[in-house]
Amino acid sequence: MRRLLLTAAAATAATIALSACGTTEPAADKSNKSAERITLTGASGTKVELDGPAKKVVGTEWNVVEHLVSLGVEPVGVADVKGYKTWDTAVPLTNEPKDIGTRGEPSMDTVAALAPDLIVATSDLPAAALAQLRKIAPVLDLKAADAADPLGQMTGELDLIAKATGTTEQADKLKKGFEAKLAEGKQELEKAGHAGTEFAFADGYVTGNQVSIRPYTSGSLIGAVNEKLGLKNPWTMKGDPAYGLAATDVEGLTKLGDVEFAYIGSDGDKGSTPFTGALAGNAVWKSLPFVKADKVHRLPDGVWMFGGTGSMESYVDSVVAALKK
Amino acid sequence: MAVTTTAPAAPTTAAASRKGGAVAVTATLVLLVAALALVDIAQGTSAVGPAEVWKALTGQADPADASVVIASRLPRMAAGLLVGAVLGMAGAALQAVSRNVLAAPDTLAVNAGSYLSLGLVAVTGVSLPLLASSGVAFVGGLVAAAVVLGLSGLGAGTVRLVLAGSALTLGLTSVTEGLLLLFPVQTEGLYAWNQGSIAQNGFGGVLWMVPLAVIGLAGLLMVARRVDALALGDDAARGLGVPVRATRVTTVVLSALLSAAAVTLAGPIGFVGLCAPAVVRLLARRYRGFSRVRTSVTLSALAGAALVIGSDVVLRTLVSSDTAVAVPTGVVTSLVGAVFLVVLATRGRDTGAAAPPERLRIRSRAVFLTVAGTLVAALIGLAVVSVLLGDTKLLLGDVMNWTQGRAGRAVTFVLDTRVPRVLAALLAGAALALSGTLVQAVTRNPLAEPGVIGVSGGAALGAVVLVTTVPTAGPTGLAAAAFAGAALASALVFGLSARGGFQQNRLVLVGMGVATASSALISLLIVLTDPFNATKALTWLSGSTYGRTLPDLLPLAVVLVAAVAVTVARRTELDLVSLDGDTPRLLGLGLSRARLGFLALGVLLSAAAVAAAGTIAFVGLVAPHAARALVGRRHVRVVPVAVLLGAVLVGTADVVGRTVIAPAQLGAGLLTAVIGTPYFLWLLVRSRGEAR
Repeated sequence: MRRLLLTAAAATAATIALSACGTTEPAADKSNKSAERITLTGASGTKVELDGPAKKVVGTEWNVVEHLVSLGVEPVGVADVKGYKTWDTAVPLTNEPKDIGTRGEPSMDTVAALAPDLIVATSDLPAAALAQLRKIAPVLDLKAADAADPLGQMTGELDLIAKATGTTEQADKLKKGFEAKLAEGKQELEKAGHAGTEFAFADGYVTGNQVSIRPYTSGSLIGAVNEKLGLKNPWTMKGDPAYGLAATDVEGLTKLGDVEFAYIGSDGDKGSTPFTGALAGNAVWKSLPFVKADKVHRLPDGVWMFGGTGSMESYVDSVVAALKK
Repeated sequence: MAVTTTAPAAPTTAAASRKGGAVAVTATLVLLVAALALVDIAQGTSAVGPAEVWKALTGQADPADASVVIASRLPRMAAGLLVGAVLGMAGAALQAVSRNVLAAPDTLAVNAGSYLSLGLVAVTGVSLPLLASSGVAFVGGLVAAAVVLGLSGLGAGTVRLVLAGSALTLGLTSVTEGLLLLFPVQTEGLYAWNQGSIAQNGFGGVLWMVPLAVIGLAGLLMVARRVDALALGDDAARGLGVPVRATRVTTVVLSALLSAAAVTLAGPIGFVGLCAPAVVRLLARRYRGFSRVRTSVTLSALAGAALVIGSDVVLRTLVSSDTAVAVPTGVVTSLVGAVFLVVLATRGRDTGAAAPPERLRIRSRAVFLTVAGTLVAALIGLAVVSVLLGDTKLLLGDVMNWTQGRAGRAVTFVLDTRVPRVLAALLAGAALALSGTLVQAVTRNPLAEPGVIGVSGGAALGAVVLVTTVPTAGPTGLAAAAFAGAALASALVFGLSARGGFQQNRLVLVGMGVATASSALISLLIVLTDPFNATKALTWLSGSTYGRTLPDLLPLAVVLVAAVAVTVARRTELDLVSLDGDTPRLLGLGLSRARLGFLALGVLLSAAAVAAAGTIAFVGLVAPHAARALVGRRHVRVVPVAVLLGAVLVGTADVVGRTVIAPAQLGAGLLTAVIGTPYFLWLLVRSRGEAR
């Protein structure tokens, strides 16, 4: 132990000696301010002041990143780039942003090194972290999700980010396109005789010997889109106040009755597709009316269930395609 | 159902009236388990109630209802009974063979091993069919148990066994929690799994486990008489011709097998292995026959089954069925078990003998000075390196500029956030080490540390309550909440264990009860209020220095300085208190008062540390042990070395966590355990050679 400690001490001494007394950054200079100021209010009520439309933007959550990409703003920093590329292929990244670490604990050092004009964060980050991010750059903090009005929350976020980045025209275009897509989807479903069809969306996870199922209630973004498509949400349970997600088990599915049942999984993660895997041999599952009638749909991967207009448009397409089959 | 119908043989040695009482108690327990099992079948998320269950059992129900009863309700009930029974047996056997009331499957690291192996599989994305993934959990659990057994030295001290188990549990759990934080999507559901749930996907798993349970029970009953002999002490048993070592190995292996099987079926169901034998021990005080291993193992199986199935029934009765699905069974058994444990500990007599003091070489003054000097040098080096290293590498000139307020924007920002983090890590490490030293000295229990006596748990619960109710809470609010929680928890623990002057087993048992209850409540809060904010709570709980500012550290610094001063002034008293129960009394020292004072100081220290850097387990356990091994047991030497070691350990963990996988980062607490575990296990192995 003593030898170990001595070696450690010697090594650190050597390191210090080797790190010469230079600097990695020149002294600070005063930047002049432009006239076009933008003032926004974040979810926590904090005012955000910008000298002009933000160009170098960092996003700490995937929905925020999706909004940025859709608006044509290439984010300079994104949390968990690899995860985004796996779970949100509906709106792929158009550049190679810097990975700023995990969504829960983005690295302050890395964000600071990017010297962004604006950081868009959500309330999933601890307040202390938001306070520190505000020292790097203006921080637009958004509510992570709101089950009271999921669609309004999504478009509201889009509008705020558009205002901050000077892309309100693009945002209006996106919103109009999304409305059109919803109307078109609704029409197609009506034509196919699916007006008012009961449509249950869920995802599920297998861990060990257990299967947990996560119903998307009407408070979820997916649930809200389903309603706009003229579908009925047969889940009766109450979701959580932010994401509108509930929890149940296989038995709980017996309350659904004869509905259409859809889910999204990921091929990279077999634990996320219990409906074709672990449950296939389950007696309760096999006795469910919608399983017997072959009304279980696996929608394509890569639609981020908590994303923005792009993800939701892909989702509408996949629902229409599945039900028209 | 085999478990509920096997009534244990009535003890032959007890007096006739007592014998009748024992039979009555056993019969009551059997009836209770059967009744609970029946109620459990009628509860669930579907509309299948008692009437439909009755129809299904008599073959008159419609096929859908029948399938719910057969593929969901019956497997769940069977799993609950089996898991409870198996854990009860394993716990009873382990406690008998180790003569330690704290021995349980959880302390053999079986659960932690399974948790990690499942986590690794989840992260690699390897697809496994259901039984194979159960197999992975099983193998992980057995490997962990094997490591603990191998390192602790079979047949050697039993304290060592529990120590090695707890250490490995902390280390492995930390690695898994790191995986949860780094791969939140892939490991979805794993956090909930770790709370344990008896819900089953069909009968497959249960059928797979029944033979294992039968083998385990039969094996334990076969070695039971030899284990009884061990109660007389190793030497006496050897004198009776009992192969001590072989008996111990067999029993522990059988228990590991049983608990690994339980973990495979239902995830870790907390506390049953600890609690069920404790209930039986209470009964054994009235009915002497129950204290024999053969009966106590069987009765513990019944008590365990009652505990698990009862918890499930209580949960499903209290909350709506859809909410009940989201609440893991293990959380409820932990809560029920914790209350039980606390009640038992406060009502029962303190029967546990003090652990024998560690055998340590007397070290010379030169050794102490060398160790202390080296540690100071390491600390200074570490501080400098920590400030320079990070995602952004800095040079000393940058730091000079910063101290004079002349640095540029980026450097200023980096150092503004980095320096408080480095200080938080160093101070928290020092405070926790000192707290651990005090608590271990006072309780004379090598397992005691702020986490074990429930203080860290209380602090964390306070903080999480605030995080879930006021999402925008700032660092000051969090610190206040942590302080409040720690104060409440320690008031509870010390208040309940005060009677009889803080006897060591009572204190630790009550403490463990409070610690488990608080961690169960934390899980419950997260699951019920905001299941998708778990990352936030986990981040904070994993002992992170993320987002600290200098004002946050002020209380910690003040408490630390004051505590060091008091400890140094009262070092002689501390030496006496840590020696044994009688010497201080002979010398006229008010034992209770001295102990209370040192404990209060320990609580204050660990609450301040939790407030500043989250729950950092392990430092309080490792640093004092390591310090004693390095410089002997006199506190005038142990305290400075432990404090320095703690600071270096957490500081190193913090700098490694921030840099190695940058820009992603891991909490200091996780890495403390990852770094601390191998060192601690190595210490255990080494001291085994030395002690002999």
